[in-house]
Amino acid sequence: MNYLFHILVMIGIYVILTQSLNLVMGYTGLLSVCHAAFYGIGAYASTLLMTGWGVNFFVALPIAVIVSVLLSFVVSIPSLRLKGDYFVLATLGFQAIIFGIMYNWVSFTRGPYGIPGIPIPTLFGFAFDSPASYTLLSLGLAALVVTFIYLITSSQFGRVLKAIREDEIATQALGRNTVLFKTTAFALGAGIAAIAGSLYAGYVRYIDPTSFTVAESLFLVTILAIGGSGNIQGPVVGTIILVLLPEVLRFLRIPDTIAPNIRMMLYALALILVVIYRPRGIAGEYGFE
Amino acid sequence: MDLSKRCEDVPTLEVRNLTRFFGGVAAVKDVSIAFPPKRITALIGPNGAGKTTLFNLICGYIAPTRGEILLGHQSLRGLKPWQIARLGIGRLFQDVRVFGKLTALENVLVAFPNQVGERFWEPVVRRAQTLKMQRQNVERAMALLELVCLADRANTTAENLSYGQQKLLAIARLLAMDAKILLLDEPASGVHPAVLETVMNLMTSLAKQGRTVVFIEHNISVVLEVAHWVYVLDDGEVVAFGLPDEVIHDRVTREVYLGV
Repeated sequence: MNYLFHILVMIGIYVILTQSLNLVMGYTGLLSVCHAAFYGIGAYASTLLMTGWGVNFFVALPIAVIVSVLLSFVVSIPSLRLKGDYFVLATLGFQAIIFGIMYNWVSFTRGPYGIPGIPIPTLFGFAFDSPASYTLLSLGLAALVVTFIYLITSSQFGRVLKAIREDEIATQALGRNTVLFKTTAFALGAGIAAIAGSLYAGYVRYIDPTSFTVAESLFLVTILAIGGSGNIQGPVVGTIILVLLPEVLRFLRIPDTIAPNIRMMLYALALILVVIYRPRGIAGEYGFE
Repeated sequence: MDLSKRCEDVPTLEVRNLTRFFGGVAAVKDVSIAFPPKRITALIGPNGAGKTTLFNLICGYIAPTRGEILLGHQSLRGLKPWQIARLGIGRLFQDVRVFGKLTALENVLVAFPNQVGERFWEPVVRRAQTLKMQRQNVERAMALLELVCLADRANTTAENLSYGQQKLLAIARLLAMDAKILLLDEPASGVHPAVLETVMNLMTSLAKQGRTVVFIEHNISVVLEVAHWVYVLDDGEVVAFGLPDEVIHDRVTREVYLGV
């Protein structure tokens, strides 16, 4: 049963991550490969607050969100004027810088040694220390995030984001400050990714930089490409498939020495098949070009 | 939308000595034109004459090398395209630029200015007002789609409309943003005759309402039919202007444009 709860917790965390990336990629049309950096910023910010200052998880979480949003401006304000490939390169650079800071600023982040002993989240004396209670927390926050994203994307705000995705020049010609909308979407995506980061830190209770690499950012992009983007259901479908895939391989009793490689090959195969036969992903609305 | 309703206080759009160089080449050279309200002005000339560049300069997509662009007494120099659009200057692009994966209805809904729900917190914090405005805007958008004969295609994605229908949709968007000055880049090119008639009727009605209509066109019969005033551009300069009948029969026009 604990195994099932673990999978549900991870699905909750990844739904939050992919929904937040969906806001940037699926709705606004910006291919970002630095989402794991914001995930990491959220994890490190809340962890440092909890371990260093004894701040409660539920206070550390919103502060981590604010830190992530503020740091998103570092990348968005100079780079959102860039287009296409240049924007992707700018986000790749940001991802490398953040990973470099996590890895090399040992006095602050403990670098490759990671930070152990992260406190269990507690709320009004209730500790989320059982797999079942953490599942509730993870899925509860995921449900809140999905609801929030549904509300904002089904309104005029979401329509303008989609219009920018389709044609930014035409959107400007309708009187919309597209840079402001893109900056807002990017900041919201970064802030929501930080929620997933905090949730992850509180769950595994030990973090190190290897969880927040560019490979993780590309994995999130892959989930959206396979599941689909530009609507609510695409990222959920993609997350469920790609979180469950390694577990399926586990039941096939493939030796541990080759299982990770086979998993990567399957991801690549799935990605190629989707790109060729279903560019919008399994349940998506928007085919990222 | 009621096209019989007057559109008051539309300022005159004016360019003075407007010049734009690309490298050593003058795409627009010392152009001075006033576009008053209630008038339909046509810009004609051969390809590369600088007509679309003139629209791009007015709309802020490129900056002039020198010269002035005025809306009433307000200078538009240095303003961004979205700021110029908010002043009521709407642009129909030559390549239409509809939002392909949005439905016709959504294309029009995007264009309404100052909507509740446009700031990201409003759909959450001001849910009731957001939904109320959305309902009202759907009604207004359907009326506009009716006006351009696209009501029955409201839920069709724009990429699945014909080229002519996409042009009508783009015009409906301009009406939704309540553009007082409409800059239409080849509104008649490549459209079915039935659609063309709708476009020309719309242009005439909008000018009668009090709006300013400026259009670039190669179809001389359309120019003769709807334009009140014509400017001929060649090599970035105004080489002739006047009433359509006079200009079309002008010697300079026939030389530079008609090649006779």
